[in-house]
Amino acid sequence: MMNAPFLTRLWQKFTRSRVGRSIFRVGLPQSNLERSQAMTSSFLLHIQPAKVHKHSLKAGYSLGLGLISLYLFIILIGTGVLLMFYYVPSTASAYNTMKDLQFVVSAGLLVRNMHRWAAHLMVLFVLLHLCRVFYTGAYKRPREFNWVIGVGLFLLTLGLSFTGYLLPWDQLAFWAITVGTNIAGYAPVIGAKVKYVLLGGNIVGQEALTRFYALHVIVLPTLALLMVGVHLWRVRKDGGLSRPDEAGEVVEQIPPGQLPVNKSYGLMELARGTSPQVGKNPEDEVFSWPHLVFREILLFLLVTAVVLFLAIFWNAPLEEFANPIHPPNPAKAPWYFLGLQELVSYSAFWGGVVIPGLLVTALLLLPYLDRKRAGVGRWFARERVVANSIFTLCLLAAIVFTVIGTLFRGPNWDWVEPWRQPPAITEGH
Amino acid sequence: MNPSAPQGQNNVSRRGFLQLTFGWLAGIFAIALSAAGAVRFLVPNVLFEASQVFKAGKPDDFPDGSVTFLEEERVFLVRQGNTYRCLSAICTHLGCTVNRAEKGYHCPCHGSIFDDQGSVKSGPAPHALAWFQVTLSKDSRLLVDKNRKVAADKYLVLPTKA
Repeated sequence: MMNAPFLTRLWQKFTRSRVGRSIFRVGLPQSNLERSQAMTSSFLLHIQPAKVHKHSLKAGYSLGLGLISLYLFIILIGTGVLLMFYYVPSTASAYNTMKDLQFVVSAGLLVRNMHRWAAHLMVLFVLLHLCRVFYTGAYKRPREFNWVIGVGLFLLTLGLSFTGYLLPWDQLAFWAITVGTNIAGYAPVIGAKVKYVLLGGNIVGQEALTRFYALHVIVLPTLALLMVGVHLWRVRKDGGLSRPDEAGEVVEQIPPGQLPVNKSYGLMELARGTSPQVGKNPEDEVFSWPHLVFREILLFLLVTAVVLFLAIFWNAPLEEFANPIHPPNPAKAPWYFLGLQELVSYSAFWGGVVIPGLLVTALLLLPYLDRKRAGVGRWFARERVVANSIFTLCLLAAIVFTVIGTLFRGPNWDWVEPWRQPPAITEGH
Repeated sequence: MNPSAPQGQNNVSRRGFLQLTFGWLAGIFAIALSAAGAVRFLVPNVLFEASQVFKAGKPDDFPDGSVTFLEEERVFLVRQGNTYRCLSAICTHLGCTVNRAEKGYHCPCHGSIFDDQGSVKSGPAPHALAWFQVTLSKDSRLLVDKNRKVAADKYLVLPTKA
């Protein structure tokens, strides 16, 4: 410790002091015992194990996509709370507060840009995370339900992004939500009612803004936070990240009826088959502190740096004040719904109801339908070639339709080639 | 339930059975009622939107054979001879405002084309533009009720002036 930098020594001295100990319990760990205590005695760290499998640390396996999504969510909460100190959810003031953020508030533009880019990135990275889990077969037993929670989190992410889209109350916001909620209105039986309740009326107006605001700043973030907690907890309880060598390790649970009545049991004996320690060898594992924690801190810095970089060099768009009479031409939903909008432009029923409904149902049921245990824990495993091919086809189709809807559709939803001419925006009237 | 009862068997006393049954029912009832109440709470009873019934003006404000776009109301007022009709300008596809074309109507957002009767000629729109009821108010103004949809061949016929 004598060679450590001054600030490290100062920190160590503080955490070893009476006050420091009362706060942190463990200082900077010096021994393996303290390394595990550092994890278990900290509220923020204890959701993670004291020791972690070497395979879970391989950047090439998980690509850190789930963590990146979480970090983006944290950045969104931070910047979002800051924005709430200025934003007023009223049709008369909302747009003005956006202008204030742009031109008057110190760092207001930066905070808004960060919120915008982190939101777009989060949609992207949650989707990439879903792809990673699919291609490594990580949704299989015992992680079936955590996949379902993950699909829920994906939908929540879309909901968060969509409700936030309306809040600037500019032309982009107004018409994207008009188009988006009209797509929702195509759902059978309940579609029209859902749209009415969501908007609090027939048109996108003050009631819709109030409702989207409430959903965006409290309902959906709280739900998402809770579900992220459950998601991470389940990762731990389901035996950490999936690994290739865990295929045979599922241990039979003792049926409740066979437990002798008079014997008292220790917790380990009642724990489920895939507790974190089952099937692991000590030599495969390293201490989470520092191996996992430092990687996580590094990744957080990286994500923050990328968001800052984007926010400094590219401004979040703000068009003119929302005008319910003049739709921009073409009127487009947010980019992640443009594949859907492209489908809806062929057929409202098939594109707006059947295909998205089937996709979500298939995603939710997937771990219960595909039950073979082969190929878990490896990217693009041979044994999973059928499942991977089907998934890739669906993914490619989604990407193609989204790219067409985003870049190749101009005024009147006519085909344009983006490299020929910039899509001319002409007024509706 | 009962610690002295042998485990692994479903021996439930009559009282225990009734308690369980009513416990479940009460729980389900409470949750269902709260959920239904919360959903009903979210359905607005009063809308602060512009009235769906509006006066379009004097019949003679609209020349014979004209199709007039009323921007605020997002409707077209169609006069042919002494007949008056009112066509919704809201595209049935995704809610954009359609434009009057040389013949029919054209949606700028996703390319739906409607004919003069509001029927879909091409594009993704699932059904025809709505026609609204037109009546004459007591002060001789055209009164449009956007809550009442009528058939395309339903006209307000005014007696031609002498």
